[in-house]
Amino acid sequence: MKWQHLITLAWKQIARHRVRSALTIVGVAAGMFLYTAVQSMQSSLKAVTESGANESILVVYRENRFCPMTSRLPEHYLAEIKRINGVEEAIPIQITVNNCGASLDVITFRGVPPETLASYNPDLDIVEGSYEDWKSRSDAALVGEHFARRRSLSPGDTFEAVGVRVYVAGIARSPHAQDNNVAYVHLPFLQQSSRVGLGTVTQFNVRVSGPDQLEPVAAAIDETFASDQAPTTTRPEQAFFAQTAKDMIEMIAFTRWIGLGAVLAVLGLVANALLLAARGRIQESAIFQTIGFPRRAVGLIMVGEGALLGLAGGLVGSLGASLFFYLKSYTVGNEGLTLALNSSWSVTLSGLLIACLLGLIASIWPAILAATRPLVSSLR
Amino acid sequence: MKNEPFIICRGLSKTYKKGETTVTPLQALDLNVPKGEFLALMGPSGSGKTTLLNLIAGIDTPTTGGLQVGGRELGKMSRGELTEWRAHHCGYIFQLYHLVPILTAFENVELPLLLDSSLSRSQRRDRVEAALELVGLSGRSDHRPSELSGGQEQRVAIARAIVADPELLVADEPTGDLDRESATQILDLLQRLSGEMGKTIVMVTHDAKAADAASRTLHLEKGQLVEQMSAMAEGGAQ
Repeated sequence: MKWQHLITLAWKQIARHRVRSALTIVGVAAGMFLYTAVQSMQSSLKAVTESGANESILVVYRENRFCPMTSRLPEHYLAEIKRINGVEEAIPIQITVNNCGASLDVITFRGVPPETLASYNPDLDIVEGSYEDWKSRSDAALVGEHFARRRSLSPGDTFEAVGVRVYVAGIARSPHAQDNNVAYVHLPFLQQSSRVGLGTVTQFNVRVSGPDQLEPVAAAIDETFASDQAPTTTRPEQAFFAQTAKDMIEMIAFTRWIGLGAVLAVLGLVANALLLAARGRIQESAIFQTIGFPRRAVGLIMVGEGALLGLAGGLVGSLGASLFFYLKSYTVGNEGLTLALNSSWSVTLSGLLIACLLGLIASIWPAILAATRPLVSSLR
Repeated sequence: MKNEPFIICRGLSKTYKKGETTVTPLQALDLNVPKGEFLALMGPSGSGKTTLLNLIAGIDTPTTGGLQVGGRELGKMSRGELTEWRAHHCGYIFQLYHLVPILTAFENVELPLLLDSSLSRSQRRDRVEAALELVGLSGRSDHRPSELSGGQEQRVAIARAIVADPELLVADEPTGDLDRESATQILDLLQRLSGEMGKTIVMVTHDAKAADAASRTLHLEKGQLVEQMSAMAEGGAQ
């Protein structure tokens, strides 16, 4: 007997018991939506907190300060930082945020010297608008793709937040998640409009020549300014995020239990639906066996049904969650740092596979029941 | 040869436990059924008719005794071998038709052919259409069982039983749930299958008129053939 016949029979069971199948698929979809949402948060967090092998960015912050509103460093530190061995590039950044606490809609302005952004961040790709336009207008902003989608911004628009009114000169895309959540503006413009004042910045981002230079350069920077008016704490970018956004990370880490709960709920739902189906089809299973279908085939029809229900629910739930995150472009923020909640293909695919696997596992017992009932009594 | 025994039962017994009680629906039954015969089994409820039918169809196994169908000793076959044997050699017709409700008439009849992976889709279609035409339902192939009358459902069940061309058909009260007109059509069909196509048919029935359609009728009582009981009684008296 060919596999395709068993799968076809399983599919007919699903397609022709529409209400039961639709209810089960909705339940599975809800569970897998939750699972994919949780996994998306986890993977987004992992992407910004895990150190990569080629990590080479240091963040210089004011010692013992954790919010951009309180971290103030003299801009003239830049020249001294650039002189330290191992430093390839350094950029002063003024950060202004609308909310230092935990928020789902953080607006972050990064003020940078317009002439150095391209050389410091060559990966920044202008997908709409123009870089030249941004450079030529003092109130212009290069808005990260994620931010622009969340706020429905296009080149030529103006918007105001945190008392700063800017003109959108371009939409930028970057392989670095943080860049996609912020609006780059001219440093002097932000220093003045946010009333921090010229000559003061929030942090310096420093690119070193290689990952092995991260520690020595960080130590050298902190040592240089240790006895200065504004001592610094320098950490790799990912470590900086992990330490500064500790509360947010703990909260997101907790959500894995919600994901586990969703998975168990899906398992229970499919198992229950199939168990009821197996009980309701005792006679039908016996007829299949009387005709000559081996017990294995009768069981496999049930297993196929479980897998297809899981797959259908997984498709709706996992793709739905990914689409939801894409359209809503949520950004979780804390202490001025942002975490874009993006779903990836790998997360969506893992959701699909898990849904399918759950369907398979949930169908094992009903399949055994369907295949092993005594034939004669089942026919009565 | 038409008169060769196709089914041979020797000292066939079936015993099972029902709670604390041991039930023996069949005891030491001897029976020969020639190939191509249309045999009716009659008897009161609990006489062992359906048990005998299930044994002959290979969906149950005897406790003792020998049961040979088409040269194969069913009592010595494993459950898997019996399933395989049924797929190729036996068609079962139920009183309540037992069609799969979610499948159309065509799909129900096609089921036994799915077990033969050597058949192409078009070969299966041809055979299903031929079987449905034989039972006079070629225009109803897209209908679900719920859209058919009882007589039509039973004809679909017969088409399903014969589509794989088995030598043996077993029918458990095939007209028990039908009106007289439908019952007559079913019995005519069974007669044709036996007479024209050489199928060996064993039919259980309570209905004497249905039994009249068969070429031979045997009566069971308390797990034995009445004819056998009489012979034993005569033997005992002598």
